[in-house]
Amino acid sequence: MTHPRIARRSLLAGAAALGATPALGQAKPYAGQTLNGAAFQSTFFEYLRGYFPEFEERTGARVNFNTQAFPVYNQRTDLELSTRGSALDVVNVTFIYSGRWIGAGWLTNLSDFVADRNRTPADWDAADFVSGAQSAMTNAQGQTFGFAWEAGAMLLAASRADILDRANQPMPTTFDALLAACDAVQGRESMTAFVADRLHHWNWIPYLMGMGGQVFRDPPGNLTPMLGTPEAIRAAQWYADLLSKFAPSGGLSFSDDQAMRAQMSGRSMFRTQAITWLVPLAKHEESTVKSTVRYALMPAGPQGNYPGSNSHGLGIPAGSRRKELAWEFIQWALSKDMLNRIVRTHGYPSVCRRSVITGEAFKTALTLNGQDVASLYLQVLELGGRSGYMKYRTVPVFPQVGDTINRGIDRIATRQQGAEAAMRQTQQDAVQVLTRAGVRLDGG
Amino acid sequence: MTSERRILNLLALALAFLAMAPFLWLLQMSFKTNAQVFTFPPELFFTPTLENYAALWNTGFRQSFLNSLVVSTAATVLPMLLGVPAAYALSRWQARAASGISLWILASRMAPPIAFTIPYFLAYRHLGLIDTWAGLVLIYLTFNLSLVIWMMRPFFDQLPRALEEAAWIDGATTAQGFWRIVLPLAAPGLAATAILCFLFAWNDFFFALILTRTEAMTAPVAVVNFMNYEGWEWGRIAAGGTMVMLPVLVFSLLVRKYLVHGLTGGAVKG
Amino acid sequence: MTAASVRRHGVERARTRFFQLCLAPSLAVLAVITLAPAVFLLVSSLTPLDLTRPETVGDFSRPLENFRLMLADGRLGNSVWVQAKLSFWTVLLQLLIGFGLALLLNSRDRMIEALRTVFLIPMVLPPIVVAIIWKVIYTPDISPMHWGLSVLGVTIPSLITDPDWALTAIIIADTWQWFPFTMLMTLAALQMMPQELIDAAKVDGASAWQMTWHVTLPFLRGVLLVAGLFRLIDSIKAFPLIFILTDGGPGSLTEVTNYYSFQQAFNFSLLGYSSAITVVLLAASIALSWVIIRAIGWGHRD
Repeated sequence: MTHPRIARRSLLAGAAALGATPALGQAKPYAGQTLNGAAFQSTFFEYLRGYFPEFEERTGARVNFNTQAFPVYNQRTDLELSTRGSALDVVNVTFIYSGRWIGAGWLTNLSDFVADRNRTPADWDAADFVSGAQSAMTNAQGQTFGFAWEAGAMLLAASRADILDRANQPMPTTFDALLAACDAVQGRESMTAFVADRLHHWNWIPYLMGMGGQVFRDPPGNLTPMLGTPEAIRAAQWYADLLSKFAPSGGLSFSDDQAMRAQMSGRSMFRTQAITWLVPLAKHEESTVKSTVRYALMPAGPQGNYPGSNSHGLGIPAGSRRKELAWEFIQWALSKDMLNRIVRTHGYPSVCRRSVITGEAFKTALTLNGQDVASLYLQVLELGGRSGYMKYRTVPVFPQVGDTINRGIDRIATRQQGAEAAMRQTQQDAVQVLTRAGVRLDGG
Repeated sequence: MTSERRILNLLALALAFLAMAPFLWLLQMSFKTNAQVFTFPPELFFTPTLENYAALWNTGFRQSFLNSLVVSTAATVLPMLLGVPAAYALSRWQARAASGISLWILASRMAPPIAFTIPYFLAYRHLGLIDTWAGLVLIYLTFNLSLVIWMMRPFFDQLPRALEEAAWIDGATTAQGFWRIVLPLAAPGLAATAILCFLFAWNDFFFALILTRTEAMTAPVAVVNFMNYEGWEWGRIAAGGTMVMLPVLVFSLLVRKYLVHGLTGGAVKG
Repeated sequence: MTAASVRRHGVERARTRFFQLCLAPSLAVLAVITLAPAVFLLVSSLTPLDLTRPETVGDFSRPLENFRLMLADGRLGNSVWVQAKLSFWTVLLQLLIGFGLALLLNSRDRMIEALRTVFLIPMVLPPIVVAIIWKVIYTPDISPMHWGLSVLGVTIPSLITDPDWALTAIIIADTWQWFPFTMLMTLAALQMMPQELIDAAKVDGASAWQMTWHVTLPFLRGVLLVAGLFRLIDSIKAFPLIFILTDGGPGSLTEVTNYYSFQQAFNFSLLGYSSAITVVLLAASIALSWVIIRAIGWGHRD
């Protein structure tokens, strides 16, 4: 790349002035280039798209940013990255693929870009990104391969707190209390007490950990699966019972959206899921539970509280031929300024910059039905970042192990197998897929 | 009309409605807002909205639609040009190699698409055919060429050789016999085969998913794109599905005349 | 040799040349687009090729490892059984329904002619849209079927998550989508059925049933075989329905071999292992093709 550094610096200075740059009259160093970006569809990119003309005006580049459905995006990008092709310049770094993509060397080390003052002004402040969200974007050496635009923090939401109140049930804080509350409200006003989407390897794990179990012995170093242990069997039985007793008919195949709709329409009471799926209960125009929704931290198990947290970031493929431009784009899209504007204008709930989360705009946007959800959100993110219990999810082989977990829980919940048999088989399947991927296991 | 026929006609009508019902349900969904889609019990009478179609037309769907049209047409014409003569030769030529060739052609048709996907993907990256019309047409040949050969051969087999042999005796060359006598008689078969070629290319999801990005993305893949990460847009998916099937319907109706009026059964007799 | 036989010999040669000319382009194209990838597939099945581990490219140190792993893979064995059930029922149902409808619709009646087009519709819908249609029907929340049954006082479980129903749900959807294929082929053949066959049977005083059983069915045997064969091929490739409706679940009850192989390759990048599974699938389909070619006597005509 042969772009004059000086011009770029002054451009960045201009960027701070919030789109007030057209009169600068300088050469646009990226004129005529096209930036190819890809991500899964999300409200964040819909909002961001509205500001693309500002970026194009400032740099002279054209932005060609495509969004696809979540599984489609992951599959295509995984394949594209695997060939080290140059079709993409900016990609979404999907949480469960982050370890895989970073480990395989398919992404560009962004630490070099951050450290270079010619490329990144100090006030961009990379340290401002919440550690819990960034941990997935980092390798063992502490190098960063992406910056988070979305952090999912698992909370508990009850769609009809009025029914809970009438039943004298507080928001449950423990697993036992959750069961009791479900018992108390099941069937009231033809509601089911609980709803979950089918991604068990995300939804179940907090219950597994709360009961003292874990997925791997000691990730990322030791990936021996721990799915056949008594704790895992007990947790699987507990969760499968929760689903088969309290979830709506067909709930086992629900997508995220279907589960959200069940709550939004007042057909289901509780759900433990990432904030992105719970905020619409209070904000979505089609929600019928806006005035009754109540939020709380995920209930704790006998062995502690492990609410899921994840994050998705923006990164640059190793094969990109326009890395400088791509980095300009990431800086611009995830600047404090831009994120504040998106929060202020659109109420986007899942940003990852501490300065934005603690700001007034965010607090206003996340005051939902009179509750301060912003602080709950931050608590969960910090929890995940501090103790590192989410590390199981970012190991390169998680996609295939997660798949065996999904099927195991499925088998129990549909009564094809008892919990013990199902989890022993899950353990065996997991060992097989790991062996196939060349992972060394204990006692194998 | 006999009463028996009338009963059969009524039965056919009832079955047609039954077969159509799932599709009709999708059709009416395409005129509903997302909230109406989730209304329970469903409203059978409602004020239709065109917002799904409008939203669709303002996305990249237009381009995907054009891509599908171009690619599917090319993936019909090309295999027909190549495959029809080949099917004729296989039907008439008593060469020993024909048996082995049949097996090969059929096997390539039977091969699971996954077997082709990876080699093509890697080769296309090298050749710059990823995300291009040509790339899709080429991989669609893998199933459409053998489809043509396989579909057309029984049609040729059923045509009595006496017809061509008569033409040969009258001094026509083999090519002329094929062109003037055999092809017109096989018109219903050609039409049915062409329709199927078009449909298979048009409806492909697997290859397009992996071999296209944006520029050459086909309509079925675009429809799946409406399945948002943060919400299934049922109305838009329904509208997209409806639009995707439109050109196919038109095409089927056009060729239907050949199927009905060709009536080569009568000609074969002579 | 007489002059006549020399001339006939020349004509034979010209005819052979014409047939060669007809075949050559197709064979050349097929060689490039099918044989080359097949060779690649075979080669990669002998390696542990995993795109996340570049060192696995061209690692032939344990060429049969994938096949050894396959033997121990219970999920793979299960997928073969699921595939067999799915193929058997879908092909059978589609042949029966397609054949029955073709007989029903083989009439010059104007209404019937219009209906033929109507019956084609399920097949012309993109499979991905068909999958979405059935997703709607099988989702109790928004399903017209569940609503209709609840009006009648019947409550049924969600079919795609019920272990007793999941595969049946897929079979119903697949049959709905593809019966027009067998119907269309049967109809096209029926229209080429020689009138004198029909006339002769009528003269003999055959009833409608006798006619169907002794005249129509034998005449259609070849077409039905070919139609069934193509449905068998496509049933092995079943993808969008399973992808959208069940993702192979609940558990692995609807996970067919092709889908399992797809997951190994494109969700987990285990291309070597997936290639090995696909090689076996390919070998099975070649064997099947051979059997069927023998059965209908293609290439061995006398």
